[in-house]
Amino acid sequence: DEEPERTKRWEGGYERTWEVLKEDESGSLKATVDDILFQAKRKRVFESHGQVRLGMMRHLFVVVDTSRTMEDQDLKPNRLTSTLKLMEYFVDEYFDQNPISQIGIITTKNKRADKLTDLAGNPKKHIAALKKAVDSTCIGEPSLYNSLLMAMQTLKHMPAHTSKEILIVFSSLTTCDPANIYELIKTIKGLKIRVSVIGLSAEVRVCTILTRETGGSYNVILDEGHFKELLMLHVKPPPASSSSECSLIRMGFPQHVIASMSDQDAKPSFSMSHLESTSGGPELTLGGYYCPQCRAKYTELPVECKVCGLTLVSAPHLARSFHHLFPLDAFQETLLEEYEGEKFCEACQGELKDKRIFTCPACKKVFCVECDLFIHDTLHCCPGCMHTDGTS
Amino acid sequence: MASEDEINILVIVIDVNPIWWGQQAQREPKFTLSKCLDAVMVLANSHLVMARTNKLAIIANLYQESHFLYPSKNWKSGDDIASSGDGKYELLSVANDLFAEEIRKLMDRKVNCTQTETLLAGSLSRALCYINRVSKEVEAGQDVKSRILVIKAAEDFTLQYMNFMNVVFAAQKKNVLIDACMLDIDSGLLQQACDITGGLYLKIPQKIALAQYLLWVFLPDGDQRSQLLLPPPVHVDYRAACFCHRNLIEIGYVCSVCLSIFCNFSPICTTCETAFKMPLPQMAKTKKKKVKTVN
Repeated sequence: DEEPERTKRWEGGYERTWEVLKEDESGSLKATVDDILFQAKRKRVFESHGQVRLGMMRHLFVVVDTSRTMEDQDLKPNRLTSTLKLMEYFVDEYFDQNPISQIGIITTKNKRADKLTDLAGNPKKHIAALKKAVDSTCIGEPSLYNSLLMAMQTLKHMPAHTSKEILIVFSSLTTCDPANIYELIKTIKGLKIRVSVIGLSAEVRVCTILTRETGGSYNVILDEGHFKELLMLHVKPPPASSSSECSLIRMGFPQHVIASMSDQDAKPSFSMSHLESTSGGPELTLGGYYCPQCRAKYTELPVECKVCGLTLVSAPHLARSFHHLFPLDAFQETLLEEYEGEKFCEACQGELKDKRIFTCPACKKVFCVECDLFIHDTLHCCPGCMHTDGTS
Repeated sequence: MASEDEINILVIVIDVNPIWWGQQAQREPKFTLSKCLDAVMVLANSHLVMARTNKLAIIANLYQESHFLYPSKNWKSGDDIASSGDGKYELLSVANDLFAEEIRKLMDRKVNCTQTETLLAGSLSRALCYINRVSKEVEAGQDVKSRILVIKAAEDFTLQYMNFMNVVFAAQKKNVLIDACMLDIDSGLLQQACDITGGLYLKIPQKIALAQYLLWVFLPDGDQRSQLLLPPPVHVDYRAACFCHRNLIEIGYVCSVCLSIFCNFSPICTTCETAFKMPLPQMAKTKKKKVKTVN
């Protein structure tokens, strides 16, 4: 439990944030500002899990609370708009890091739950739905039971080798349930679905129990920046639970056919994914991806073929997930003064100006701060190692 | 007219594999490495002249190493710039002189390697780090548009697939276009890279006309390309190769743990050594026959 001396936030003194900033001799604040920025950057580079099996194929349902409390203006302009904006960013990043996974969105208000979008692997539909949802009104109370039930009914049919997850963005402090939620929690735990909650107001006991029983995480946000950080924690594939089975999944790799108007054999045809689209009209296209099993046409990948059920992907989609399986080790941090060699960053050829430099443990080359962040966030492979050893 | 707020960065990666160029000099004496470098210098100068805020970098790719030819480590921006006698823009004369000097230094070194393939992933990753650094150093309010042009001579090094794909996805994320100018052989990896990042892929029919192709196709930047009639995109083969035989397959089996691709069902994944559940055939229910007991 907490120490008895720690005062509650409303009892404590003011946080003297101005004392953090210190001026140097010439009166400039640049050194301290740089230091603060640097610390913020370093927080983002966290250690890898090591050799842990990850759940790469994920089926995630996001439940967004659209009840009365979402009209509160503590997040600008109001909680709903801010949440939906961050959700769009989350959907983009999620499909970037997990290209063969799927997302579905559920909203809950007025003691009911509605499915905004079904489980799908294409980000465009979700982002369009999220943009439209900004205009919806926030009324009533959310229902945790109904939203969990709706998500569970779809997830229980998913094959065993996938990682089934639910992420709830919960802003209200109450929930209105038609039945005993603890029974539902037991059922969800039995189906091996992992539920995580991001709270916008305060800690709610039922959420604590829900996440503890199912093995998820529960966090309450401090401000918008913290909200974004917490959402991004869910983008990375989670360690797979020991009970998930591993199996060989049958997938198709269709060829992209580009036909131009001058080809005599090219005939315009409909794509199967447009049969259900209500926006625009059915579009005739000349080229596309043809399913290797049933020759149905699709305009975009990844998609599950509606005719024969085969999952269609392209090889780069699988390659995008490789960096999760072979994560890059964190570089060792040393001071510039102690380094004897030439003071140039190996990757960008710039002079090493910052007082901290980073060394790769494998190839022993030094990198500057910017390159270290870039390598770990985006590149996922060390330029120095690529030169000494040509194999991947 | 390019506004002051836009900075265009062009990074040129040249493949200087000595074995390929040596053989090339014997095949076609009219097109040698020095002619190629002349054409590249023309492109580099043109790019610098297009707008005052354009930036340039040139990297030479030699087997598994890459060297920055321009800007080089030894050049600091405060040095005296010798004014050229013919009234040329000083930046151009400095750039050309540095470029020539660095290439000479590179050629004087003794290299022991004898492989004929080039490893592009290293140079591309360095180019991306350079672009990243320059983007961070601009003032607020300035737009940075960057692209990488790869001039490739020799064949691909097939073992670099994973590093190469990591670099390509990083480029796509940072909105960096990767263009490719192939002198000799088609390269599947670069075709995928150009397709994913939205760049141009061109195999030059006549090597002697390299300068024309560079100026016509690769000088305009991303925004201007929509208004020009450029070579059509090539058909990219996105089929995966199975891990056991390296054949291109249309339907395959993917391990859910390590994402390796197999052409046939096997009980154990060879990469991560997980045992899979075998799908058992459905057992038909045997009907119980009533046995009549004879009293």
